[in-house]
Amino acid sequence: MAASARHAAWALAPAFAVLLAFWLLPLAHLMVLGAESRDSHGSGYWQVLSSAQYLGSLGQTLLLAVVVTLVALLIGGISGVFLARQQFFGRSALVALLTFPLAFPGVVVGFLVILLAGRQGLLASLGLQLAGERWIFAYSLAGLFVGYLYFSIPRVILTVMAACESLDRSLEEAAHSLGAGHWRVVCDVIVPGLAPALASCGAICFATSMGAFGTAFTLGTRLNVTPVAIYNVFTNYANFAVAAALSVVLGAVTWAVLLLTRRLVKNSGTVL
Amino acid sequence: MRAFRKTLAAVLLCGVASLAQAAETAICYNCPPDWADWATQLKAIAASTGVQVPLDNKNSGQSLAQLVAEKAAPVADVVYYGVTFGLQAQKAEVVGTYKPKAWEQIPAGLKDPAGHWFAIHSGTLGIMVNVDALGGLPVPQSWADLLKPEYKGMVGYLDPSSAFVGYVSAVAINRAMGGDLDNFAPAIDYFQKLAKNAPIVPKQTAYARVLSGELPILVDYDFNAYRARYKDKANVAFVIPQEGSISVPYVMSLVANAPHRANAEKVLDFVLSDEGQALWAKAYLRPVRPMKMPAEVAAQFLPDSDYARAGVVDYEKMAAVQEAFAARYLNEVK
Amino acid sequence: MKRSSLFVLQLLFTLVVCAFMLVPVLMSLLAGLTRNFFVGLSSGLTFDWLAQVWQAYSPTVWLSLQLALACAVCVCVIGVPAAYALVRMNNRFSRAFEELMVLPVAMPGLASALALLLTYGQFGSFRSSWLFILVGHVLFTLPFLVRPVMAVMQRQQLPVLEEAAASLGAGPIKRFFSVVVPNCRAGILAGVLMVVTLSLGEFNLTWMLHTPMTKTLPVGLADSYASARLEIASAYTLIFLLMIVPLLIALQAISARLSRGERR
Repeated sequence: MAASARHAAWALAPAFAVLLAFWLLPLAHLMVLGAESRDSHGSGYWQVLSSAQYLGSLGQTLLLAVVVTLVALLIGGISGVFLARQQFFGRSALVALLTFPLAFPGVVVGFLVILLAGRQGLLASLGLQLAGERWIFAYSLAGLFVGYLYFSIPRVILTVMAACESLDRSLEEAAHSLGAGHWRVVCDVIVPGLAPALASCGAICFATSMGAFGTAFTLGTRLNVTPVAIYNVFTNYANFAVAAALSVVLGAVTWAVLLLTRRLVKNSGTVL
Repeated sequence: MRAFRKTLAAVLLCGVASLAQAAETAICYNCPPDWADWATQLKAIAASTGVQVPLDNKNSGQSLAQLVAEKAAPVADVVYYGVTFGLQAQKAEVVGTYKPKAWEQIPAGLKDPAGHWFAIHSGTLGIMVNVDALGGLPVPQSWADLLKPEYKGMVGYLDPSSAFVGYVSAVAINRAMGGDLDNFAPAIDYFQKLAKNAPIVPKQTAYARVLSGELPILVDYDFNAYRARYKDKANVAFVIPQEGSISVPYVMSLVANAPHRANAEKVLDFVLSDEGQALWAKAYLRPVRPMKMPAEVAAQFLPDSDYARAGVVDYEKMAAVQEAFAARYLNEVK
Repeated sequence: MKRSSLFVLQLLFTLVVCAFMLVPVLMSLLAGLTRNFFVGLSSGLTFDWLAQVWQAYSPTVWLSLQLALACAVCVCVIGVPAAYALVRMNNRFSRAFEELMVLPVAMPGLASALALLLTYGQFGSFRSSWLFILVGHVLFTLPFLVRPVMAVMQRQQLPVLEEAAASLGAGPIKRFFSVVVPNCRAGILAGVLMVVTLSLGEFNLTWMLHTPMTKTLPVGLADSYASARLEIASAYTLIFLLMIVPLLIALQAISARLSRGERR
């Protein structure tokens, strides 16, 4: 077994080479850049870590990403399980249509949120009809939240649908036959069965939300998430040191949270 | 299955690999098709000089950042951006010097003496209004009008910390409210008051949103408003506020170590030529060279008495204080 | 009774979620066919916008397709062996590698692109070619192939099959190609589906890595939403949809058929 594991390690070589050359090396470059200082303001890292504004923005981004991930897991989990278990004509097409939003750049998602909840949006007209005033929330935190949900839910649905294929129905039937109510079956059989898939998917959703730029950029909300702050610093004064430092710090925070979650959800060596 | 995928990929690779043009090209950063009608200008350049210039939708800041990132091996040949970015680019040493054919006709103060950048046209800032989307409300005539509660949720201005137009708006409002480039307190005060009116603050041009009615009132340039009114036939009005405003030049530069220097020079010559400047005029910009506007275009502009309210500022100073103001705006305007 | 009311609730919930996902897209598509969005449907339907968009942006469609397929091929070539290795090794090193793999997703595309530009930007012809964008796409989509394939490999009880093959004299490479890969086809295809979708829509990285000569569809799409009329941007979205949905349906159907075949 050990010999074949060593053999297997060779199969990792191409991927490792690519990551080393095109990711680690440039990342090192970026980290070094973050330590540079411009116009005697202190190094990029110092400017980032000593600024309440940047730290606040980092905190807001983190909170947003966590909440979006949890809500997406809930919504996507319920719909995904339901869709996986129903067979109906056009299911393939429906799933493809639900996957399509994954391909949207964040900028487009932002404009879709405006179509839904902006001044000329669907909800505004609905509000005018029903309550005499427009329901506009595209430009507030709610709009940003909805935008992030929009590109997270399909991911969860797809993952859950795939994971449902391998759920052991006989366990559920056994639980039912032993008298467990529906909710107990869900909590004690289905959710633990789906847990590795949900955790893995949640990690990706979290990482994506932390790094998401296009949606916040388009919606122009007052909430300046860190990727937008990076863009600001980068494009306004070509201040690469601070931009690099912010990026490295953002990446480090995301990685730390992922690491923490992995520790907490440590299962029997299943893929996280 | 994998073999099929591989062959498909190979075929595509071969087929599309020959996309590289044999024609003369020059790469321009920030030559968007609809802004200042660059689409027509680039077609004219191709027709007159034979140089193909693909369109590019970066904004001023993105162009500068890209130039700095690519300093070691530039991709662009020419760049078009707001004047403060030209000054920054000069400081960052990413632009070379070139004095195009009509150099002497550009007024001093609108060009770098060594040729690092030069203005090609200018625009005036004001309030662009989609009259139909106002729902019967009167068109605002001053900066103070925008603070009125009846316009709640309808006013937009670009983020001063993120877009050049935004910064120009801040400088214009500041000057109109009695401040100057050393004292931005009036502008900060104004934005804080405006924040209570639920403004929308995009980080990039919001032209499309004004047309679609999403953003009925936007602080933007006159040429965008005229384009909306006369080219896109929307019921858009442009107002130069009573308290005053400013006009700013947009400049172009030759990129340092440009890959296609000869073509770049041809492009820069053309945009300052009679034909090029006339095209800018037709796109509702004020050409930098002193020339007579075509009568029908001049008729579409607001009267000169309105334009008398728009002044100019010291662009070097404007560039120097940009970063500090942006930081202050982010801190104080919530 | 309780069962069926729960079923109805779930159905309604799922329908609401689907509506939430699809209604804005439908609105956008309709806007692409409307003569004037502000006026609404009463201004009439037209294909003008579609024609305008195709004239201006058709090269972006071909480049994006080319990139997506090339990306899928590259990611398969390096990702499937990597998944196999990670599943077999299952030690600290493999877990660290998994973390490493996800990082390009965690860091904003702007930053990764900047890093790539600074490190490799001086190789002029590489930087100006579409291969530069391909590198970014491969980095970003790698985990999305490796994870599903790892999940499938774990389920398939590969060690047993491999031992059998080994006992019959097959070497490691032959075992990989004739035992491991065929058994994971469904997982690989599911991963390819995700990779193609993500590559077709990748914006953050591509935005900085592209040049005006190598513009992809998402970059063009974002540009048109920002600077052109809403009708043009929506027409562009319609073209995007027409391009991507048949591809997704086909890949979905193939993957479904394969996984049905696997559950004999």
